[in-house]
Amino acid sequence: MQYKTQAVAKPYFIAAIGLFVGQILFGLIMGLQYVIGDFLFPAIPFNIARMVHTNLLIVWLLFGFMGSAYYLVPEESETELFSPKLALVMFWIFLVAGALTVVGYLALPYATLAKLTGNDLLATMGREFLEQPLITKVGIVVVALAFLFNITMTVLKGRKTAISMVLLLGLWGLAVFFLFSFYNPDNLVLDKFYWWWVVHLWVEGVWELILGALLAFVLIKVTGVDREVIEKWLYVIITLTLVTGVIGTGHHYYWIGTPEYWQWWGSVFSALEPIPFFAMTVFAFNMVSRRRREHPNRAATLWALGTGVMSFLGAGLWGFLHTLAPVNYYTHGTQITAAHGHMAFYGAYVMVVLCMISYAMPILRGRAANSDKAQVVEMWGFWLMTVAIVFITLFLTGAGILQVWLQRISATPLSYMATQDQIMVFYWLREWTGVMFLIGLVVYIASFFIGGDKKAATA
Amino acid sequence: MLAADTPLPSLDTPPAGTPRLAGDLAIWIFILAELLAFGAFFAAYAFTRAHHIELFTHEQQALNRITGAINTMLLLTSSYFVVRAVQAAERSAPAPCARWLVAAIACGVGFIVIKLHEYSAAFERGVTLSSSPFHMFYLSLTFFHFMHVLLGLVILSALWLGARAGRYRPNDMNGLESGAAYWHMVDLVWLVLFPLVYVIH
Amino acid sequence: MSGIFTKAMARNIFYGGTVFFFLLFLALTFNTTRELPQRDNRAKLTPAVAAGKKLWETNNCIGCHTLLGEGAYFAPELGNVYKRRGPEFIKAWIKAQPTGVPGRRQMPQFHFSDADLDNLVEFLKYSSEINTSNWPPNIEG
Repeated sequence: MQYKTQAVAKPYFIAAIGLFVGQILFGLIMGLQYVIGDFLFPAIPFNIARMVHTNLLIVWLLFGFMGSAYYLVPEESETELFSPKLALVMFWIFLVAGALTVVGYLALPYATLAKLTGNDLLATMGREFLEQPLITKVGIVVVALAFLFNITMTVLKGRKTAISMVLLLGLWGLAVFFLFSFYNPDNLVLDKFYWWWVVHLWVEGVWELILGALLAFVLIKVTGVDREVIEKWLYVIITLTLVTGVIGTGHHYYWIGTPEYWQWWGSVFSALEPIPFFAMTVFAFNMVSRRRREHPNRAATLWALGTGVMSFLGAGLWGFLHTLAPVNYYTHGTQITAAHGHMAFYGAYVMVVLCMISYAMPILRGRAANSDKAQVVEMWGFWLMTVAIVFITLFLTGAGILQVWLQRISATPLSYMATQDQIMVFYWLREWTGVMFLIGLVVYIASFFIGGDKKAATA
Repeated sequence: MLAADTPLPSLDTPPAGTPRLAGDLAIWIFILAELLAFGAFFAAYAFTRAHHIELFTHEQQALNRITGAINTMLLLTSSYFVVRAVQAAERSAPAPCARWLVAAIACGVGFIVIKLHEYSAAFERGVTLSSSPFHMFYLSLTFFHFMHVLLGLVILSALWLGARAGRYRPNDMNGLESGAAYWHMVDLVWLVLFPLVYVIH
Repeated sequence: MSGIFTKAMARNIFYGGTVFFFLLFLALTFNTTRELPQRDNRAKLTPAVAAGKKLWETNNCIGCHTLLGEGAYFAPELGNVYKRRGPEFIKAWIKAQPTGVPGRRQMPQFHFSDADLDNLVEFLKYSSEINTSNWPPNIEG
């Protein structure tokens, strides 16, 4: 590693992977509750398991983003981190706060947790993905501000590259849009309208800037292609992302009480959202094929290419599948949405964080790349998890298509639960594929503990 | 890193003699994205119109085709002025270049003024995005384009400042040509939008 | 065909394009805010509805159900449950949970008071009267 303060990234990456394991375990619990309804009831009701599953996802991705930023920014800025001590303090605060929140979810009834944590002062809890108690939300803001301060100061005192500017913009956007989670009017339509300013403008907006910056950084490192070339394509791709994605928020405003013109605005712009993802795929493959060096870390290259392909499939293609208003009329709020959500999150954000970890972790451990043996195991983890998520998505899509047909299109529509009984087989298949994902994750983690001949320690 | 840095020929400097793309590739990608968005919106318009032909024909009558035609002339003229500005810069004549740009900006401002007038009349008739499918498309398409004219004017103003500073020369036309290409796109979109929304029935 | 492709131009277009489309989004948001009163049923937003919404939130109902199609997909859509089942059924159902049928999905017992139940029903009634452009396609949600 070029700057010794980059080392603060390491605990962030380790925590990210640890929480990732938790996320998957709770995913498996939920998957089983889909088929064996009373599994673990009443110890862990489905809503609690889901909250843990999605909140852990968000938190570990945030750990991943922060670790990536702490690794990337000193190297891009060519200077030591402004305050490695602050970074470590914030790490522990965030980890402890996150752990306490999860313990709170599991140990207390949610209503009790709400009462104990001041939800009566400012009601923000109980909305999808924003279930965190008020104090946790405030904690997230504090940690984010301290983190942004640290990163921004580092960039300001050093070299300002396109990659670090884009990353910074994405991270600031992340913090700014999170503030809308504190706005929870009684008016349900307004509540939902601005709820999407957090959720959509995160995942189809500012997070994509982070994704682009991290991917560009790794591509420069592993391919040796000119920074100038990679950075200008980065700008082009994220321009396309925001041109389509910001107004694309409209695809959430079809059926929640918002005016009907959103059906047109949302359809037109979100129909174009696959384009930047496609551009990113082409970009990643192009840069790798134009590479000027054979970087010993082939696993990192694989993750980078995987991010390109899977984000296009998950976010681009599976998003397009149900984004047009006339289609969405039937698919809104079904397993189709779940299918899209799983592959999009994995393809775009899980993979880019794992890509960054794959590139940076060997260097943080004092070598340019892991041994061939360890890399082969890591790639096994890659393929197991990636193939598993593809099949999870396919099975959920199958479940969704049948659900839409039986419950919403057929001449004699079935009730919700009667429909669920009919599509049980897909949920079973999804659960077994989930087990495959877990095996992939275990293999991935095992790769960190495999020795063998290390590659030269030049970084 | 273990680098085997064998320099490849840069792909960014064009070999002499090949046809040249006027303006920056980045602006062309942006223009293409914009045209796709407009194209999708136009297609949606045609699709909806096919389902409500009478309503569309009827409500179209209320639009002012005279001011629409004047606006078309204004944009075409300003595109011509921008062409003259580019030609002036290619002759290394920054002062005429800046003057042609001012003329183009004046036409653009004229478009804005007339359009605002048209909007205020429409709002008085109770036209909103939700008052009918035709009104939805009329307002959405023209307002989306209106915003582009405003952005185009910002770009032309930046070009004007650049021209006055003598920034554009025969061997450095990238900024001017890129801005000009964008303005022509704004003009082109109007040339489709005007007949589609105001005239054809 | 060849041409110039500069990072400075790409950067300017990124910043310009981002600001442009965000302003457009704000303009649409402004318009939406003005049109919402005709659609969002705010006239019926009573204190009981607000109290019901808070109960909905503090018991994490969205963790299993969807409301206007948003939420988890583990249990039925409740945006139109008032029209599908009616107030009395809803209250009786909530009181009867969990069913305890082996192998079936279970809903927890939330120990609501009668006033709580009334407020929840008011919230669901208000939700069912929001103009959702005829979504869901049928009463089953």
